[in-house]
Amino acid sequence: MKWPIESKLNGILVLVAVIPVWEFISRAELVNPLFFPPMSKILQSFFLLVLSGDLPYQILLSLKRAAAGYLLAALVFIPLGVVMGLYPWVYRLLEVVIEMARPIPPPAIVPVAMLFFGLGDEMKIFVIFFSCAWPILLNTYDGVRNIDRLLIDTARTFGLSRRRMITRVVVPAASPQIMTGLRVSLAIMLILVVISEMVGSTDGIGYFILDAQRRFKVDQMYAGMLSLAIVGYALNQLFFLSYHRFLAWHKGLTGVDPA
Amino acid sequence: MKLFGRINLAGLATFCIFLLLWEGFARASPLLQLYFPPVSRILLSLCQLIFSWELVGHIVATLGRFLRGYLLATLLAVTLGIVLGYFKLAYSLSESLIEFLRPMPSVAIIPVAILFLGIGDAMMVAVTVYACAWPILINTIAGVKNIDRTLINTARTFGLGRWKALRKIVLPAASPYIVTGLRVSLAIALILVTTSEMIVGVSGLGFFILDEERSLRTDNMYAGIFLVALLGYGLNRLFLVLEKRAMAWHRRMTAGEQI
Repeated sequence: MKWPIESKLNGILVLVAVIPVWEFISRAELVNPLFFPPMSKILQSFFLLVLSGDLPYQILLSLKRAAAGYLLAALVFIPLGVVMGLYPWVYRLLEVVIEMARPIPPPAIVPVAMLFFGLGDEMKIFVIFFSCAWPILLNTYDGVRNIDRLLIDTARTFGLSRRRMITRVVVPAASPQIMTGLRVSLAIMLILVVISEMVGSTDGIGYFILDAQRRFKVDQMYAGMLSLAIVGYALNQLFFLSYHRFLAWHKGLTGVDPA
Repeated sequence: MKLFGRINLAGLATFCIFLLLWEGFARASPLLQLYFPPVSRILLSLCQLIFSWELVGHIVATLGRFLRGYLLATLLAVTLGIVLGYFKLAYSLSESLIEFLRPMPSVAIIPVAILFLGIGDAMMVAVTVYACAWPILINTIAGVKNIDRTLINTARTFGLGRWKALRKIVLPAASPYIVTGLRVSLAIALILVTTSEMIVGVSGLGFFILDEERSLRTDNMYAGIFLVALLGYGLNRLFLVLEKRAMAWHRRMTAGEQI
């Protein structure tokens, strides 16, 4: 039998093999086990933390903040992007302000947010809102601007009202690009919730990881990272699922997978 | 493309009105001044900070970490990406590991880096390398995988050695993808440098901004944010210029972009 070179099984085998290799490196003290505890110990504290509800609680806190900022950004910036795409004068009015604010690296906003909102949830929500804004706004704008003129003209010919035109023609036609913006923002959202919790917070998964490191509970730190990897993976998968659901019509229409 | 192809007067006007409103409100209310010092005062502190050389050290520190992290990440990720894109077995072995690690928000690696590398430059550079490597790696893999087989077969037919084929065929053919990855990583690098500066806090613009916020010198804080934004903007511009030069051959070949 030939070795199945392109099988996904290979990768999963490697992933599984990491566990004993890690265990060995740590037990043999090839790397200081103080920094690099055995995988068995990490997994043990991971399960303990999950069962005690500690880790799920911290993750839930973080996800709550993340979701609030993300949804708020989508709620504000998708409509704004649509308006900017439909009315070039709105875009021209806002262009300079946007181009000035966009290059600010999101972490630089954290101190400003702390100044205004303290260390509470609002601060993180604002930071996430701000940093998710640009991909959503600019992708929506791009999507709307690049809609086939024919679509809009046809809708006009059929006498669609402005409102129906936007909800029935413009937004659906731009939705693949809007989704792209939302997908980019999803990764940014997760990064920023962790950053804001590391810099200014007393709870949440970002704080948990950094705090575990500072208290030298290294196994708990790795357990926190493991949970974060799982959450990130799950969020991505969830997004793809809903993506294909929402855009199934698009795929059927064009015969290409928009992803 | 001219540098000042068109000047968006309406946009500039909006921006000026925004600044004037800021100035006016800040001057009118002493309470607001604490959070929003007048723009004129921010500019004044910016000049003072620059001429007193206080900020120059921070800028140099941030820029140095940025450059080291970014360049090292490019070197590592492009090399690894070519290997993984070219050899199917290597890819299938590492696929699951990549898929598992990639969705984890990269900032979560900061505590681990602190453990292993302390709170010096090495830690910040390492974190930047880790985070920047992902987009470059993924894009390089995709680029190498999507190379037209005919290109490689032609090279073989002409008797090009492996090394030469790599340099003359694989790298150029994958370069549009690689450049995309490099551009995404540019923003990520700045995020990681400023974040780690905030968390371990010794020097750099990230540290400066957070420190000024904590000591309630908000005008300095805004001045710092302005500088980081300027840095991000300048680096992005520089990248676009370099990209235009390096990829001119590609545009000539595809005629995709007619500027």
